[in-house]
Amino acid sequence: MTAATLTVRPQGRRAPGEGNPKARRRLSGWWLLLAPILVFDVILFLTPLGKLVASSFADNAYQRVLEDPLVLRSLANTLSISLASTIVTVVLGYVIALVLWRAGNIARVVLFAVVLLPFWTGILVKNFAWAVLLQDNGIVNAFLQGIGLTSAPIELLHNRFAVIVGLVHCLLPYAVFPIFSSLTAIDDRLGLAARSLGAREGSVFRRITLPLSAPGISAAGLLVFIISTGFFITPVVMGGPGDMMIANQIDYYARQLTDFSGAAALAVVLTVMVSIMVAVYQRVLKAGGQHEDN
Amino acid sequence: MTDSNSLHFDRRKLLKAAALTPFAGLALSGCGAKPSDSAAANKTVTVTSYGGSYNDQLTQTILDPFAKQTGIQPTLLANTSLAALKAQVQSGDVQWDLVEITAPEYETAVAEGLLEKFDYDIISDKGLPGYAKAEYGIKYLSFLFVMAWDQKVISDAQAPKDWAQFFDQDKYNTKRSVYNQLSDSSVLEAALLADGVPFDKIYPLDVDRALRVLGHHPGKDRLLYHAANQEPIQQLTSGEVSLSTSFNNRINAARTDGAKLNFSAENAVLAGDYFVVPKGAKNKEAAFKLMNFMSNDAEAGAAFDKVTNLTLANTPALSKLPKEIADTLPTSPRLADKILVRDDKWWSENLKKTEQQFKLWQAS
Repeated sequence: MTAATLTVRPQGRRAPGEGNPKARRRLSGWWLLLAPILVFDVILFLTPLGKLVASSFADNAYQRVLEDPLVLRSLANTLSISLASTIVTVVLGYVIALVLWRAGNIARVVLFAVVLLPFWTGILVKNFAWAVLLQDNGIVNAFLQGIGLTSAPIELLHNRFAVIVGLVHCLLPYAVFPIFSSLTAIDDRLGLAARSLGAREGSVFRRITLPLSAPGISAAGLLVFIISTGFFITPVVMGGPGDMMIANQIDYYARQLTDFSGAAALAVVLTVMVSIMVAVYQRVLKAGGQHEDN
Repeated sequence: MTDSNSLHFDRRKLLKAAALTPFAGLALSGCGAKPSDSAAANKTVTVTSYGGSYNDQLTQTILDPFAKQTGIQPTLLANTSLAALKAQVQSGDVQWDLVEITAPEYETAVAEGLLEKFDYDIISDKGLPGYAKAEYGIKYLSFLFVMAWDQKVISDAQAPKDWAQFFDQDKYNTKRSVYNQLSDSSVLEAALLADGVPFDKIYPLDVDRALRVLGHHPGKDRLLYHAANQEPIQQLTSGEVSLSTSFNNRINAARTDGAKLNFSAENAVLAGDYFVVPKGAKNKEAAFKLMNFMSNDAEAGAAFDKVTNLTLANTPALSKLPKEIADTLPTSPRLADKILVRDDKWWSENLKKTEQQFKLWQAS
């Protein structure tokens, strides 16, 4: 993400710390500052992760889980739900970021609050609130029937649509902020110059705003996708049995089947899968960026 | 302001100290915990169950009187699970002493060697009914898997009399919520009963047929699933569904709290839970003493049966109960020919396979 945001640095402005010899003076004992995070990482993250990976190789676990049709299905579900949620989130996030960018001071504060409020609300609260809104006798169905658009409740809950709604609501802030920060880095004078040369709003957006905010879009897409692959509670609360994602499958292996090596193998499969996708994505991103520079 | 100089630490020293603080905490937490453990052993006992209204009832009727009589202090947790038990036994750090699990889970736990043998020198088996005593546990509780309805939508007179009516889409044009944890749920049995299979022909369970029945009648899109015991109460009272499977004690507790729900004990499925002691439990003896109290103390047992409407494996308690309460218990002879008894043996042998098939069917 940092790599992506750095590339949108406007020309002529210096990044903090760059080219300032005094700031780069060596501080003795600097490594001690790393100690807390190192201790934290090694003890609380790397050691358990190592144990998890080690336990995943017991009892033929990989073969067992990868031959399970339920696992294959939930892997497919994870990819398709995450992809759909990412696209919807980034498009919506882009629109919100554009409005935020162009809004006056007061409107901006209000909009930020609207975006941040769900960010600060627990995921369970958000999901159950949606469940209340979308259920058969919920507000949405009551409204649709009230205005005569539908005669019977339509299925809005316990399906794929509901899961994506729940995910998008949770993920939106993760898309808005990277895009917003790349938009604010665009030099306003570029737009002014284009307009002074007769460019219409559409072509200013297409030829200046969109390309210059592309790294923000990429960063948002990556972040949102990675987070969405790990969702657990939303498919449980808002999905049907056909919408289970890989985290639900890991839970099923650990808690129902008490098959810990199987659960560990699934967790490793998910981690490796996401890492590969991230690596590929970043390569594509880099290649795209270089192409633009030429 | 005059004191400001004394607060002026050397910044680098402060940074170093701050960086090393986590090590200090670690060193402190590493020692000191162990010695006190053995001294306090068997003065307390940690019990786990499923939570909600049931845990309050268990505390009030069994655990409090037990503490008063023996001085052993029980702690009751709400998050029982075989997976957590297994993790504790495998890691060697066993926190729980007495753990509630379902009957098929009991068989799994025995097969995987996760349990302590029950010491029937400490636990008197005099009060135990024949079905309850086992080598590695006691099937301490019997309950009914029942059909329940929302009285605001379906009056008791119009309520389903059997599972065929419960699943009948023409009779009730509503969604039904069913419990999806097969280790504890008898929804497949219910489907076969709805299809006309008599009680004595249900096992071995014809899973394909049960799923076919559910798929046609009421149809997959008319089924909702719940995974926790308090969920159907919420789904029924919120109007999300007007029919649901549940357990007799949960509906009774909700009725006591004023919810307009009811259930039928006829055509219910009788099932049970075990209490077991994980291998390496720190307060094994205290756990056995609690089991002894639970199985033999007539007063406590009667109070439990009365409050929960469940049958505790405690025969002396039954003689203390008034007839009108004894008649409503899951094990009442009055019900004996009207209910199905769940076959724990079949389930323990077929649980994983059946659960897999059920989940695939749900997802397809």
